[in-house]
Amino acid sequence: MMTRLTTIERQGAMLLSGLIAFAGLALAVIGRGDAMGVHGWITLILAGTLFFIAGNAAYAPEPTEDRTKSYYDDPTKIGLLLALFWAVIGMGMGVWVAAQLAWPDLRFDAAWSSFGRLRPVHTSGVIFGFGGNALIATSFHIMQRTCRARLAGHLSPWFVLLGFNLFCIIAASGYLMGVTQSKEYAEPEWYADIWLVIVWIVYFILYIRTLARRNEPHIYVANWYYLAFILVVAILHIVNNLAVPASFGAAKSYSAFSGVQDAMTQWWYGHNAVAFFLTSGFLGMLYYFLPKRAERPIYSYRLSILSFWGIVFFYIWAGSHHLHYTALPMWVQTLGMTFSVMLLVPSWASAGNALMTLNGAWQKVRDDATLRFMMVAAVFYGLSTFEGSFMAVRAVNSLSHYTDWTVGHVHAGAMGWVALISFGSIYAVVPVIWRKESMYSWKLVEWHFWLALGGTVIYVFAMWNSGITQGLMWRTYTESGTLAYSFTDTLVAMHPYYVARAIGGSMFLAGAVIGAFNVVMTIRNVSHAAPQRDYPTESEANEPAVPAAE
Amino acid sequence: MELTYEATSAFAKSFGLIYLIALSVGITVYAFWPSLGKRFDKAAKSVLDDEDGPCR
Amino acid sequence: MLRMFLKPFARFFEFHARTHYRAERHSMALTGGIILAASVGGFIEIAPLFTIDDTVEAAADMRLYTPLEQAGRDIYIREGCYACHSQMIRTLQDEVDRYGPYSLAAESQYDHPMLWGSKRTGPDLARVGEKYSDDWQVRHLVDPRALVPESVMPQYAFLLDRPLAIESLPARLSALRAVGVPYTDDQIVSAARDAYGQALPDTGNADGVLERYGEETNVRIFDGRRDRLTEMDALVAYLQILGGLTELPAETQPLRGE
Repeated sequence: MMTRLTTIERQGAMLLSGLIAFAGLALAVIGRGDAMGVHGWITLILAGTLFFIAGNAAYAPEPTEDRTKSYYDDPTKIGLLLALFWAVIGMGMGVWVAAQLAWPDLRFDAAWSSFGRLRPVHTSGVIFGFGGNALIATSFHIMQRTCRARLAGHLSPWFVLLGFNLFCIIAASGYLMGVTQSKEYAEPEWYADIWLVIVWIVYFILYIRTLARRNEPHIYVANWYYLAFILVVAILHIVNNLAVPASFGAAKSYSAFSGVQDAMTQWWYGHNAVAFFLTSGFLGMLYYFLPKRAERPIYSYRLSILSFWGIVFFYIWAGSHHLHYTALPMWVQTLGMTFSVMLLVPSWASAGNALMTLNGAWQKVRDDATLRFMMVAAVFYGLSTFEGSFMAVRAVNSLSHYTDWTVGHVHAGAMGWVALISFGSIYAVVPVIWRKESMYSWKLVEWHFWLALGGTVIYVFAMWNSGITQGLMWRTYTESGTLAYSFTDTLVAMHPYYVARAIGGSMFLAGAVIGAFNVVMTIRNVSHAAPQRDYPTESEANEPAVPAAE
Repeated sequence: MELTYEATSAFAKSFGLIYLIALSVGITVYAFWPSLGKRFDKAAKSVLDDEDGPCR
Repeated sequence: MLRMFLKPFARFFEFHARTHYRAERHSMALTGGIILAASVGGFIEIAPLFTIDDTVEAAADMRLYTPLEQAGRDIYIREGCYACHSQMIRTLQDEVDRYGPYSLAAESQYDHPMLWGSKRTGPDLARVGEKYSDDWQVRHLVDPRALVPESVMPQYAFLLDRPLAIESLPARLSALRAVGVPYTDDQIVSAARDAYGQALPDTGNADGVLERYGEETNVRIFDGRRDRLTEMDALVAYLQILGGLTELPAETQPLRGE
């Protein structure tokens, strides 16, 4: 891959990785004796490795290919592999922490292996590691195809992708060492946060520059969703992570906000992380890969515009539904509840739009597991947005909040919607960018599909049961007016559901492992396809770029 | 004017509503404006044959 | 009919729709639109909360976390306790009956960050302070299932063996002051000594703690070990002050039936 860069670019890669390695060394020296120093060493080793990879190819001949005639897919390829790697890690951690809740002694005699430290490794691993890499990789793919233009730059996509993964590694290793801000889904400490801002700015510039190169008058709607993802995540990340470090030589920092303001800021972030990280970008995936795979244009382009702006306007207000009946002022709670209910409109518009697109192509859904992944993802998107609006209603929330119902809801969205659309997109895109005839095994895709669907359903039903049971037990009174159940009584009632949850999660993980295996085998063992129409210039061929399923 | 909690929250409640209605109307007008329909159709179809245009 | 009514405005709408279309052709205009649409909502909703101080019930007796308690809070965060324990009693009858008076905004005004939590795998801890003895807390942290067989809480026995890092306390307190907690210079300078004195009163450093943080401060050996200051001391000291920073909730919320 290095030899496809020009000499100048290879030197640039050396310079950049050298600078980052140097920054890592500085971090290691300043933060010695603290977890920050360990992060310095990790940075130094990773950037140093990159430096030598780039250095190794320093004297390779100049590439001869005509760059205007092809898309730049190398970063996409690595991004997809990283996404699958993080999927296995993150979901594996999820199964482990789920099992710890059923069998609490399933741990090592070491601080790092307790639930509290492993749980953010799971959440960040799947959200940022798996989801983030899938988003970055598919955004590179989609922006080039819909703009009919090659990526604007050859170093910046690598900087974005690898820089983002450095952030993920610092985050995950930090949690194991106890480095956390305690802000859910924004746990990494100040230096990791600053690094992510730099990466994100480069990502935005890359996206905008590629859009500027496009050979299409209209910016296809998938790009809007990706753009919203990049922009709003940047705003959320910067505001929510404002903090003052206790010392520039250590990881610990204190949030700029406190109490009720901090709670509102945190859940404004937390809920919009769901909106703009876990929904917006993945809708971009849906709006590109679903029509492409079904070989039908999106049912209503107008509806996709309406739901786009609806999501951008409404979601941002909804965060306060995480704080019903708390010390947050009532009007803010009501506002959050109202907007959460209104959100159902653009959300169902998107889900309905996706399903209507498939109307008339149901035989394809039946035969093609890849398209079925996307179809079921759209169904789960519809279901979990309905559930979300329902749970945001104050009366419902009084029962569901603090219980496993919330956990079940999140996983209906994360497994049923986010992971399934990602896997569907991965199966659609892998044969295209590696120029393969098909996936290694369609049977394994079927296996993955049914394991993922079965695992999600078991997981979600277990959590509905445990959440509603626990919520009801907490509020049950005896006839004499005292509480009927102690907290421990509810814990005992949870046990069977926690076991079921661990089983559902294991099935989902098994599906992801099969998927990763299938992708690797496709790359290694499937023969090359004849060149397809997947390049920016002239093409007379009429075959679709995505091979139809067998 | 002093920036009191009453004033700012009243502003949030009233202006927020106007802001939202205005945005919703604006977007609906845009999305359903008849003469733009053809362009939207073209955009929707563009992903299916996305390799036809010349590259700069 | 509608058509006739709208006719005079047609040109305006036409212009409006075309502007949108042109905007979408320019990626930077689209960018601006997204930022505007997304940030205005968040701003309108959050900004008023920063003026909330003039409506929040003032807790005159509100005291600050001592350096030892703050160190314990940092350990609580480090170990991810917030993932399973909330510190926010909602205004619901069963929660008040189970955990005590509902939480007030004033109680977490010095909490950077807040630890309200989102999930109760274990019970709420907002008022757990002084509910159990120090000895119970220590033994429960060492092996939760020895005291509560049904518990799924991890063991934290290692806290007993880890000496508490006190050198960084002055820096931590001054960072907290930078974000708005009113620590005095005296409190910051003496932070390490105060942490020591609060958990090991025999060393002669206890008086300074009482003088700087008030007579109500818990000064005692928390972990049962007189020979050293451990992380267990800090965490238990923190747990024992939860809900005890101010008397306001108990004063403003009369018990049911009274």
